[in-house]
Amino acid sequence: MLSYIVRRVLATIPVMAVVALFVFSLLYIAPGDPAAVIAGDQATPEDVERIRASLGLDRPFLIRFGEWAFRILQGDMGNSIFTNLPVTTMIAQRIEPTLSLMALTLLLAIFIAVPMGVVAAWKQGTIIDRAVMVFAVLGFSVPVFVVGYLLAYVFALELDWLPVQGYTSFSEGLWPWLENLILPAIALGGVYIALIARITRATMLEVLSQDYIRTARAKGVGQRGILFLHALKNAAVPIVTVIGIGIALLIGGAVVTESVFAIPGLGRLTVDAILRRDYPVIQGVVLLFSFIYVLVNLAIDLAYTLFDPRIRY
Amino acid sequence: MNRRDLLKATLAAGALAGTHGLSAPALAQGAAARTLRFVPQANLANFDPIWGTQYVVRNASAMVWDTLYGVDDQLVPQRQMVEAEEHSPDFKVWTFRLRPGLKFHDGEPVLAKDVVASLARWSVRDPMGQMIRAIQQELVAVDDRTLRWTLREGFPKMLWALGKTNTPIAFIMPERIAKTDPFQQIGEYIGSGPMRFVRDEWVPGAKAVFQRFDGYVSREGTGSWLAGPKRIMVDRVEWTVMPDPATASAALQNGEVDWWENPISDLVPVLRRNRNIMVDIADPLGNIGSFRMNHLHPPFNNVKARRAILMAMSQEDYMRALVGDDDKLWKPLPGFFTPGTPLYTEEGGDILKGPRDLDAAKKLLAESGYAGEPVTCLVAQDQPITKAQGDVTADLLKRLDMNVDFVATDWGTVGQRRAMKNPPGQGGWQVFHTWHAGADCVNPASYNAVRGTGDNAWFGWPKSEATEAAIARWFAAPDLEAEKLAIAQVNRAAMEDVVYAPTGFFLTYQGWRRNVSGIQKGPLPFFWGVSKG
Repeated sequence: MLSYIVRRVLATIPVMAVVALFVFSLLYIAPGDPAAVIAGDQATPEDVERIRASLGLDRPFLIRFGEWAFRILQGDMGNSIFTNLPVTTMIAQRIEPTLSLMALTLLLAIFIAVPMGVVAAWKQGTIIDRAVMVFAVLGFSVPVFVVGYLLAYVFALELDWLPVQGYTSFSEGLWPWLENLILPAIALGGVYIALIARITRATMLEVLSQDYIRTARAKGVGQRGILFLHALKNAAVPIVTVIGIGIALLIGGAVVTESVFAIPGLGRLTVDAILRRDYPVIQGVVLLFSFIYVLVNLAIDLAYTLFDPRIRY
Repeated sequence: MNRRDLLKATLAAGALAGTHGLSAPALAQGAAARTLRFVPQANLANFDPIWGTQYVVRNASAMVWDTLYGVDDQLVPQRQMVEAEEHSPDFKVWTFRLRPGLKFHDGEPVLAKDVVASLARWSVRDPMGQMIRAIQQELVAVDDRTLRWTLREGFPKMLWALGKTNTPIAFIMPERIAKTDPFQQIGEYIGSGPMRFVRDEWVPGAKAVFQRFDGYVSREGTGSWLAGPKRIMVDRVEWTVMPDPATASAALQNGEVDWWENPISDLVPVLRRNRNIMVDIADPLGNIGSFRMNHLHPPFNNVKARRAILMAMSQEDYMRALVGDDDKLWKPLPGFFTPGTPLYTEEGGDILKGPRDLDAAKKLLAESGYAGEPVTCLVAQDQPITKAQGDVTADLLKRLDMNVDFVATDWGTVGQRRAMKNPPGQGGWQVFHTWHAGADCVNPASYNAVRGTGDNAWFGWPKSEATEAAIARWFAAPDLEAEKLAIAQVNRAAMEDVVYAPTGFFLTYQGWRRNVSGIQKGPLPFFWGVSKG
């Protein structure tokens, strides 16, 4: 197992290298000019050209890539073109809100979606099953920002229970942290809950039709034991896989959710950087997200062994 | 106590009681009243008002850095850091004496050498500064409080240059900071303005914080805009960046912020329905929409094609696309200068008045030699103002039987591509849209868009010798009457050569909670004199 983990961690190095080359190349060929954004609308073309030169954007691709890659190897992501702050500092400023949002959404989704899927499978064909499926379809269909606006309108503007926007650090207390994240997590979690609930239901239906479930029933195991001890454990591998894949959904959804609820997270940092062509920031954030995604997949692979002892690495 | 406070209290006192780390910190009523929470028009992504010339940078900088002069709401430059000035009769030698006791935020006195270094850096980047620099003989500190600017030619508009609101403003920085290359960003944010920048709390894209500078030496009397006393009535000003207007609107209604710089017109009716919110015009100088044509390539290298556009365009269509049905927010603009200002003129603007004549425009277009070639129209979709104008233009060009190549893109791409002089088929363009702050268009001083200097002109590269000659007469004008005459000539010449096509004049709103008072209407948000009950 340990050697497997080491091999997987080492395998992230070429993956990250390919991601780095891909992102750098993509940004190089993409249209747009940060110098023009910096110079402002009244600037002359000569001003823009001088700013471009001062930023080193007029140099050849290979030189720019080489310098950037060399710095990355030393753990230096460079400085933002616009703020002149180190990219690592900007990421550090923004990572807590995004991780908090993703973690809360993940928890919310798992604790709501898995029981929903299990109950829907158990009560297949009943009104409960249909209600779960209607919720799942809605969760897939209604965009995150629509859910976000509706939640903000009802729970912040009308009922005045929760704030509309912002983020308070966990270090300032649990409730201040939570009150800013409840609505965004529900908004972002909708699609994720729908996805997990549907997969759980489908997998559970398959497992519940297996011979060993019938045997368990014949031996007198109770309904709860059958569902949560025998069936769910055997259905867990595809559910865990979907949870892992869904992390990418969360990252994408966080961009929208952070904008709707004005949460100063990595999603907004990414969008701002893309609109301004702040290349070092875009590269840094994409590398970070890629790394997180690789690690999540590793964790998911390792989690398989917990649910299915036949899987060995 | 509102419901959320009650909920907090209940939770704190109930299930979470006794768990020290779980209780919500209470912001004391007094502290809340001493913090003004503001939603700016855009993200403060950098903080160097000379290096980055975005309006949002200027607006924040006006709190931190002071100026030698400041224009008031009558567009007259008034002394600010300067105690007195004198100039030679031919306007070639200008001497300025600083007020005593001025201090930077680090406690160091403001000296003439700081001003000299600041003006030297500013003059590299500012259009008026560049004009002064081109005729500069000497800029020196005579003593700690006196500096002298000696020019080879007279420059009567000196005080306007040093006090204008147009970006970049001539902000005064300590010499060590001002010596930074004007094309490199400064790394220290020390000024002598009424507020200091709290760098530790700056989260670009999210938050910027300013604290009152108790060492600020304010002028006495009354003032307005950048002129007169700059008394800060709160301890802190917190900027919260909200990219989504609906969120900003909800936050203002919910009392989570106090002042929103630029509510979009769609949300204004919602804000007006809230009795705790005031909504009013933000800046009486407003904005001028711009349909910018490329004078280097067909069809708009022919003045007849450009005039056909003026003849056919309906400014009402453009303005309604921008501001909706609120008639208080727009007016037609048969000229290039800001309505309601002393130099405003409609001289030569008849082509934009009266019913639109598409048939005559088509005829003129045919005379220009246009024969159905694609017309590349760059339209930034991420800027509501450019998108709305682009949509109207696409429809207009189609009605003129033009072959529209509608390039839907983002502002970053437009910013790069509009600088390309290549023919449209090779990466170039024929049309893009933008807008100009009315404060920039009160005269030609910082109004690059109206210049007709050909290859050296702003994007589109219009060449209009008559316009340039008239602008030169304005710079040399000794009094208001002479200025008005020169501007009328500028307007007529620029309209005849169609330097660009103005799409109309429009205003925007600002909104604030009723417990906030002292908010001025002006080209930027002025934080002095603003208090919160």
